[in-house]
Amino acid sequence: MTIAYSADIRGFDPAFATDLRTGKIISLVYDNLVRFDADMNLAPAIAHSWSVNNTGRIYTFNIRNNVRFHDGTSLTINDITKSFHRILDPQTSSPQTWLLERITGAKDFMTGKADHVRGLQITNDSSLVVELDEAFAPFIQYLAMPAAAIINSNGIESLSTVPAGSGPWRLETWARDGELLFSRNKDYWDTPPITDNLRIRILSEVMTQSAEFETGSLDILEVPQGEIEYWRQYNYDQIEVEELNIWYIGMNCSRPPFDDLRLRQAMNYSIDREKIIHILLNGSAALANGPVPPQLLSEVTELRYEYNPSRAIQLLQEAGFGNSLQTEIYVAGGSGMFHVLEALQSDWAAVGITVEIKRSDWNVFKTAVREGKPDLYYLDWFADYPDGENFLYPLFYSTESMKNRNRFSDPDIDAIIIKIQRLPNNAERQRLIADANKLIVDAAPWVFLWHSKTIYLTQQWIKGFQPSPIFNANRYMNISKMAQE
Amino acid sequence: MIQYFLNRLLQAIPVLLGVIIITFVLMYIIPGDPVVSMVGERYSEETVQRLRQELHLDDPLPLQFLRYVGNVLQGNFGNSFITGEPVAALIIEKFPNTMMLAITAMFFAILIGLTAGIMSSVRPGSFMDRGIMVLALAGISAPVFWVGLILVLVVGVMLQWLPPTGFGGIEYLILPALTLGLRSAAYLARLTRATMLDVLSHDYIRTARSKGLPEWKVFIKHAFPNTLIPVITIIGTDFGSYLSGAVLTESIFGWPGIGRLALEAIMKRDFPVIQGTVLFMAIMFVLMNVLVDLLYGVVDPRIRLERSGK
Repeated sequence: MTIAYSADIRGFDPAFATDLRTGKIISLVYDNLVRFDADMNLAPAIAHSWSVNNTGRIYTFNIRNNVRFHDGTSLTINDITKSFHRILDPQTSSPQTWLLERITGAKDFMTGKADHVRGLQITNDSSLVVELDEAFAPFIQYLAMPAAAIINSNGIESLSTVPAGSGPWRLETWARDGELLFSRNKDYWDTPPITDNLRIRILSEVMTQSAEFETGSLDILEVPQGEIEYWRQYNYDQIEVEELNIWYIGMNCSRPPFDDLRLRQAMNYSIDREKIIHILLNGSAALANGPVPPQLLSEVTELRYEYNPSRAIQLLQEAGFGNSLQTEIYVAGGSGMFHVLEALQSDWAAVGITVEIKRSDWNVFKTAVREGKPDLYYLDWFADYPDGENFLYPLFYSTESMKNRNRFSDPDIDAIIIKIQRLPNNAERQRLIADANKLIVDAAPWVFLWHSKTIYLTQQWIKGFQPSPIFNANRYMNISKMAQE
Repeated sequence: MIQYFLNRLLQAIPVLLGVIIITFVLMYIIPGDPVVSMVGERYSEETVQRLRQELHLDDPLPLQFLRYVGNVLQGNFGNSFITGEPVAALIIEKFPNTMMLAITAMFFAILIGLTAGIMSSVRPGSFMDRGIMVLALAGISAPVFWVGLILVLVVGVMLQWLPPTGFGGIEYLILPALTLGLRSAAYLARLTRATMLDVLSHDYIRTARSKGLPEWKVFIKHAFPNTLIPVITIIGTDFGSYLSGAVLTESIFGWPGIGRLALEAIMKRDFPVIQGTVLFMAIMFVLMNVLVDLLYGVVDPRIRLERSGK
């Protein structure tokens, strides 16, 4: 089976899997203690079961004894603790230490005060106890993230180019910027993939991908935004996935002019998002009523900022801006969304806000955002794990936002987010997520745009492709390929 | 001859040193932090500091420069910031692909360009001459990415004669090589025609014709060799640029060569890979130039005589 990516991955070292593409590939060749199934529920993996004690601090994982790495060696509980130590070890320089930092003693280990992490305890050869400093509900989901993958202790030396995992696919060859070829792991502890091999071609041009799909060389095509209309005329099987993401415009809340709530709300009221989604995005997005995607909320959030230019003008008058406001929006060059920004620009101009578009490459853009330079910036966020918390803490918690994003800080919202992190997944936690979502909508630190959908086309000989909204649940296990006509 | 060759190589040293200095300085002037590409979305300030230290990004610039030059002199081009692999290994991995594409592209360029140019010059002003010259003009004017995409669409998708893109056997090589080679072919055709027409007006051609030689012999044996000096110059410089990678062609056809390696490195601010690939490209250019100079001597005995006379 053959699919395409638009750029190559970084390598096979889970410690450096910080981008979506690399994370997807890591999930093919490695296993974690737990994983997400196609419906985004936590499912057993190397741990066949687990429990959390009533304080929410102590997790006990019961480990399968029939898991083998690709080189044939058995996966033992020592491999698990070694993998976790490796991520935390300063020698590794992994940017993903945040996944495991909350384990008791992790900080001591990271600063060299201890030679191992106290909170990782092997009780017998089939159970691992993990103790956290305090209750932290997302932890179990962190363990399904690429950087928490379990590595074969024998293969650490060459991880950047050769994976050392136990996952359902084995790497056969990797021609950098050319293709990745995997074969099914026949000895997988779970049901192995159906097709014999998986080829991922690196095709950076949108049109090239389409050409390859049209000639039947690609079995599945992730339809690029600009080509949705083109492919409608054909009769391919089409699957639409509402992904866990949010597209937004961050407004720097800590300095004039966007420290004024009325201006931020006016920015939201003044744009006709429905029109943009319909015309420019070919319907491949859903209006965002707040930062948290609807799939992760237990109740429906009502639309707070409908398209209402006169309300926007009124707010601008109240705030004393009249129609003389001039500002800049930063955007990363490769985002392919320039036409969308121009539409937004003209909507804002209609209410008297002049916005100049500043385009730069991704690296420059991210550096500027981190340093808090832009008044406005256009960006997206894709879920690390399917939990509303993932759309709250990293984006709106004061220390995170003040350091890396749009300098938003609200102690009430901070307090709710901390509660959400401590509570186990229950009705109260769900309500708090909805509350935080609403409060953030009211405070309008962003212009909330939309949640994008991805459209996949499959050839008629492909059966069983069910893409999941969460990136690392797509392991191509149940896809079968009939004889190609 | 060997003396001359060595002299030319020695002259290349200041050029390469200049290239090293300019790329080095440019990289530190352009905005953007390599660490940003490495850490992803959630990271702590300590991680950023630690990575910067590890990569020696906080050292004073002159120190970084001296360290780099010292390493290069020992044949060590450093390791990629992103994957940690040696830059030399990355270049060696990609170079055969680039080489293969470059040779095939040049083969097409010479075959099509010289044939068209000579055919054109046989009867200047004829229908064939005009036809070829219009095509050549189109070939020079058409942007590479456009030619590439049209070839993908027509030959790959509509006619399905060849796989549209990809990498592997010879069937994958033809379209990207044509894309890359057509522009040189067009240029060579025009150049060959112009030079041929010039040469054909000389007295020795009249002499050859008056001896009663058949027309094809006059063209191939007497006229054509005298067009070679400008033709070799163009082939040499174009080949040098092919060897340093063809970013557009490689991107359209998914061809894993030096050009894309450099482009990806620039996007990610992978300094050692940028430095390595740029230096490599410069070396390729210099070598091709030296080679072209040597070839002048081979095709033109007068150049050889001049040198041996000195």
